[in-house]
Amino acid sequence: MANEEGWFDRYVDSLPERGWFKFLSKNVVLPYWAIKNPAPKLPGGPRETQQNSENVQRMMNLVMPLKDSSSIGRAKAALAIAQNVDEIFAGLDNVGTVHFARFLILGDNLCMISVYDGDFSNYIRDFIITIGSVFDDVMTVVEGGDELIPTAHNVERFIDWVHAHDLFQAPDYPTDVFELLDEARGLSKDTPPHDLKTLPRELILLLHANPDLSLGGGYRAYPGYSAAQVRSKFGVGW
Amino acid sequence: MNDQTIAADLVRALQRPDGDLDLRPVHTMGIGMSGHFIASNVAPDFCTAAHFQGEKIPITGRFSNGSGSATERDDWSDVRGMAIRFHLTDGSATDLLGMTLPAFFAPTAETALAFIRASPAIPYERENAWAKILDYLRMTIPKRNPYPNETLSPDEGGFDFANQHRYAQLPVFGAATIGAPTGYTRADYHAVHTFVITSPEGVRRYVRFTWQPISGVQPRKLTKEPDNNYLHNELKDRLAGDGEAKFSLMMQIGETGDDYNDCTRPWPPHRIRVLMGTLTLDHVAEDQAADCEDLSFNPGLLTKGIEPSDDPILAARRDAYEISSEWRKAARCPFAKD
Repeated sequence: MANEEGWFDRYVDSLPERGWFKFLSKNVVLPYWAIKNPAPKLPGGPRETQQNSENVQRMMNLVMPLKDSSSIGRAKAALAIAQNVDEIFAGLDNVGTVHFARFLILGDNLCMISVYDGDFSNYIRDFIITIGSVFDDVMTVVEGGDELIPTAHNVERFIDWVHAHDLFQAPDYPTDVFELLDEARGLSKDTPPHDLKTLPRELILLLHANPDLSLGGGYRAYPGYSAAQVRSKFGVGW
Repeated sequence: MNDQTIAADLVRALQRPDGDLDLRPVHTMGIGMSGHFIASNVAPDFCTAAHFQGEKIPITGRFSNGSGSATERDDWSDVRGMAIRFHLTDGSATDLLGMTLPAFFAPTAETALAFIRASPAIPYERENAWAKILDYLRMTIPKRNPYPNETLSPDEGGFDFANQHRYAQLPVFGAATIGAPTGYTRADYHAVHTFVITSPEGVRRYVRFTWQPISGVQPRKLTKEPDNNYLHNELKDRLAGDGEAKFSLMMQIGETGDDYNDCTRPWPPHRIRVLMGTLTLDHVAEDQAADCEDLSFNPGLLTKGIEPSDDPILAARRDAYEISSEWRKAARCPFAKD
């Protein structure tokens, strides 16, 4: 009977959990597919949209490799933030589109995680105007940052740099991976649909090319209004 | 082909060899329950419909497994359904039908018929072990193993159809991987279609509804022992005595650029949502035949203040539910013609 399970079926079912097969998958199968059908590096940050709700509470996951990842280098990064706390608070209040921002030292990176409303480039421009000096200090401790100081004089280059260091945000629905990769590979929207069975491979290749990423565009809790709407409703805005 | 003909074809195409013509052709196995709904304090600002004004509205409902098999298979991966009928104070009623999948399989009646015909329940056979090894090496999903005692499945045809029709990819992939909940009251249920609601000021909004369990969504662990019949008992145990289960009715508001008439595509999760009310379930129907199986729910049964969008599937479902109700000799469908 075709549906009766034999020992070989059970063994094959267990292959994905077996050490030798994991080794083979990681060191032979994956590199083969990564060469045969490579996924491109995908742009960071939320994708552009005109729709209002997509422009509210957007995420920035800025990952900036430290120039010096030793404890001394980390201490310098921590100091760059600690010495600018007042500037950061004042800047966030003045920008008016930010819900929160926080800095992390994670691995060999200084990370800035923030949630903001509106257009990405405007957000960074506003930030440079209000706390450019903080970014100048941050740029002194991260790789490739020196060329951008003073950020107030290199606004467009700084925006590109931030965009390049902002994590790619994976789509919210799994099958959208096909569309996103097709677009990045320059394939037409009219190409025939992919075989659904290949979705895991496309996802793995996407992760191979984009090892750090945000899983989806963030899980927004109810009710999810903009900072401006909250200010207006509570009568504390300008 | 006229609407009634295609609706009849849809119902006929859904009938499975292991189904029962006296029962529903899909969502065949279910359990009835009752309770009440109370609208949130903001709901009347958005919609003038009677059940959104804040009064306690009695409801009857039915949970179901999506399969058209007449055998209960609770632990198999399957879409689940929740049909709710609101009994309004003027004696009329309105229905809201949801399923655990956030998208439907096809955007029109014709494509839905093509999908159903392309994915009949056919003998399901284990994939050859060598073919599975090839799948692993291609980094593709091997065919899942048959469940214990599974002989028929529509999965293969569904995948083949989705490989030719982009719109079916998300729902087919979702249905194949959806699993089973630990209880009917531990899953989200999406009404999938767009409805048009009217506010007291006459503002019309395009919206979609989702029932969200207040006790949280909880899928069943795949490692658990097979159990074909746990969902009914779980619900009976939960609602026994003073037991209750609650759901929030969340409403997504569509924006310019959203496709209001395509139910194969969920709107982005970031759309503005409004809490429209709370559903409390507190009784399992005592007479499951009369108070559950014989009922004829219909996604087209709406009330003043809520209109259907132009979603062709919503219209087709209205007709198909009517025909299905008539063929299985259920209680009179709200749209039955004299």
